[in-house]
Amino acid sequence: MKSIHVGRIFKNRSSSLVVVLLLLVVVFSVINPIYLSVYNLVDIIEQATINGLLAIGITFAIITGGIDLSIGSTMAVVIVTTGLMLVNGIDIWVCILAGVALGFAMGAINGFMVTKMMLQPFIATLGSMSIFRGIAYILTGGWPVLRIPKTFRTLVDGDIIASIPSSIFLLFAFALICHIILRHTRQGTYFLAAGGNEEATRLSGVNTDRSRLYAYGLCGVGAALAGLVMLARLGTGEPTAGLGYETNAIAAAAIGGTSMAGGRGSMVGTVLGALTLSALKVGLVVLGVDAFWQYIAMGSIIVVAAYFEVIQSKLEKRMSRLRKA
Amino acid sequence: MASPAISFQNVSKVFPGVRALDDVSFTIEHGEVHALLGENGAGKSTLLNILHGVYAQYEGSVLIEDIRVSFASPSQAIQAGVAKVHQEINLVPELTVAQNIAMGHEPRKHGLIDYPKMHQDTGAILTKMGCHFSPSAQVKTLSTGEMQMIGIAKALYHNASIISFDEPTTALTNKETEHLFQIIRELKQKGITIIYVSHKLDEIFLIADRATILRDGRLIGTYRIADINKEQLIRSMVGRDVSSYAVRLAPACVQEEELLRVENLRASVFDDISFSLHKGEILGFAGLVGSGRTDIMRAIFGADPIHSGKLYLHGKIAHIRRPEQALAHGIGLLPENRKSQGFVRLMNNADNMGLASLKRFTKWLLINHRKKRENCLHYMDEMGLTPRNPDYLVSDLSGGNQQKVVLAKWLSTGADILIFDEPTKGIDVGAKAEIYRLMESLVAQGKGIIMVSSELPEIIGMSDRVIVMHEGRIAAVLPRAELNEEIILKYAMGE
Repeated sequence: MKSIHVGRIFKNRSSSLVVVLLLLVVVFSVINPIYLSVYNLVDIIEQATINGLLAIGITFAIITGGIDLSIGSTMAVVIVTTGLMLVNGIDIWVCILAGVALGFAMGAINGFMVTKMMLQPFIATLGSMSIFRGIAYILTGGWPVLRIPKTFRTLVDGDIIASIPSSIFLLFAFALICHIILRHTRQGTYFLAAGGNEEATRLSGVNTDRSRLYAYGLCGVGAALAGLVMLARLGTGEPTAGLGYETNAIAAAAIGGTSMAGGRGSMVGTVLGALTLSALKVGLVVLGVDAFWQYIAMGSIIVVAAYFEVIQSKLEKRMSRLRKA
Repeated sequence: MASPAISFQNVSKVFPGVRALDDVSFTIEHGEVHALLGENGAGKSTLLNILHGVYAQYEGSVLIEDIRVSFASPSQAIQAGVAKVHQEINLVPELTVAQNIAMGHEPRKHGLIDYPKMHQDTGAILTKMGCHFSPSAQVKTLSTGEMQMIGIAKALYHNASIISFDEPTTALTNKETEHLFQIIRELKQKGITIIYVSHKLDEIFLIADRATILRDGRLIGTYRIADINKEQLIRSMVGRDVSSYAVRLAPACVQEEELLRVENLRASVFDDISFSLHKGEILGFAGLVGSGRTDIMRAIFGADPIHSGKLYLHGKIAHIRRPEQALAHGIGLLPENRKSQGFVRLMNNADNMGLASLKRFTKWLLINHRKKRENCLHYMDEMGLTPRNPDYLVSDLSGGNQQKVVLAKWLSTGADILIFDEPTKGIDVGAKAEIYRLMESLVAQGKGIIMVSSELPEIIGMSDRVIVMHEGRIAAVLPRAELNEEIILKYAMGE
């Protein structure tokens, strides 16, 4: 029973991503041994934290058959709100909880538009992307929030063991919790089911509207956590933070095997997707590859991963036809 | 003696591990309606796919007019005059009738589409077919039957000399079916060769000249329809006697106790619906397609809104506005369209069966996957579901087994009112019989079943009582003793 279970978590995509990731590390290390240093490996993960948190969140939205383009803006609102609370001397934990709750609320607003107002997720979150960004600017009058307290910065992004920052632990803890939500709770099953076939799920007596609302809420939580990490890392709360971050988050989820059509995806895959992107980016920097070429490399890996998906589903179809015949 | 229109010679198709077709040889004459019969998985689709160029790789040969052909793609087949009218209607709803018919082969003038000519050409075909809709109408405004006609018009547009029909009447009303048959007869008179695949044997006797039967990929034989009867056909298809076909074997077990009572239910497509369902009863809902049967069921289940009316469950009034409330009240729905409404394609047996009853397998917020699988195995054993594998994808199962999964999903919830909407649509004879036996055992346990069906033998054979619908209203309530095809049809057609 256990083996089947583990098998499902690492089902094809994730295990092949591990291979890709190891291959990247090996290739880059051979070219430049510095890549393999502990410092550099930690750096890869650290670079993946913000995108990883966003990607875990957006995986929920994508799995239900939706998308959330507003996560970068959600991040910014959480950053400036939490930042303003922090500089006004409010208790750190209250600020953190408020930030997370705010993220959930903004996600839920997206969920409300998608379910109750029946807007297409792309359009609804395109709207909220702009609205939330505007809110972030208005809250600070366009200025950054400066002098974020040291205590907060140490708590969220300070080194815990050796030079491993707490944000890395946050990433893996959030990934684990989200994995459990997706695979081991009813709502997780409902997310996948609603994304796979909403009508059949609704006709099975599942309140699919509520499930999708939760999924967007969790997406907002991911964005909020990413915002908190960024706030701690930079020490300033920029209303411009997170501009365009949704693209990398979607890329990580896609590379991790989350189907853009909904119904299929895993948190393990998404985290591996974020790590792969980060490993590639850091590797290209270590090799001194021109920044312009980095864009081409990053784009190519997305295309390759998507094509891999196509081949995989073709194989699956052939297998199922065999079984049928 | 003229050469046959199509000749299959020693055709075999092997998928690794499975012989889907095994040395099949037979001929189809010019201008005949040739039925292709067999259970699901008998090889009918494989044979059609070879003829139409979907599978380019196979053993043996296919001869058309004595010339060996091997189409690399369906579009090559169409160019050669071999067209297929699909079971699912593959049309673009936003485009016009003419655009759909001419798609890919639009007449051109100076490099641009010549719309006047396109409308003229397609209009001429439609007129010849006796269709009363305009080539410039948007497809989405048409009825299902009319859409089916477009499929045929498409074949004629390509001057097809061979047209195959795969289950063409599944979604048609009786009137539309008649029209279709009339067109098929006219095509036949023009010398067009027709291959007709259907599970509905009555239709075969109405329309076909000869029938070829396949079983497990092998040819059983080709028979003249005039020389064979239904029982013989069924026996050759399944290789055993299906005397159990849509009849009640167990004694009736209707009890006094009322499970469900509906009073004056009204919505946009139906009005004044009142009836009750008893413990141990199979209540049939007959009527033409579009008479409001499915709409009533969806309304009872809370899937669609109602305008007014009351629902009583076990004598107590119940307010059901959403499917989850129906679930809580012990109502289960096997929807009309399994693929789009019954199960989640990407999920396996265990997940699909557990979808409505996950609460039962949850403790402290976490799902007990082992219990969920055990539940799945339990129903697999009880229903004889093969392969016995909870991890198998439902989409890979046969239609009959898929229906069992949907049924198991509701039995897992402990539902005692089960609504079966077209429970045997598109499933083979053997699986149908199994579904009927399951229904019998369910009512024997005291559950109540409402069965919506367009297949009269099924309605007559299985129901304890039948409600006949006509245009959104109850036209008649008939006890089992008074059931026959004529009387049901009479009420269904509003006479």
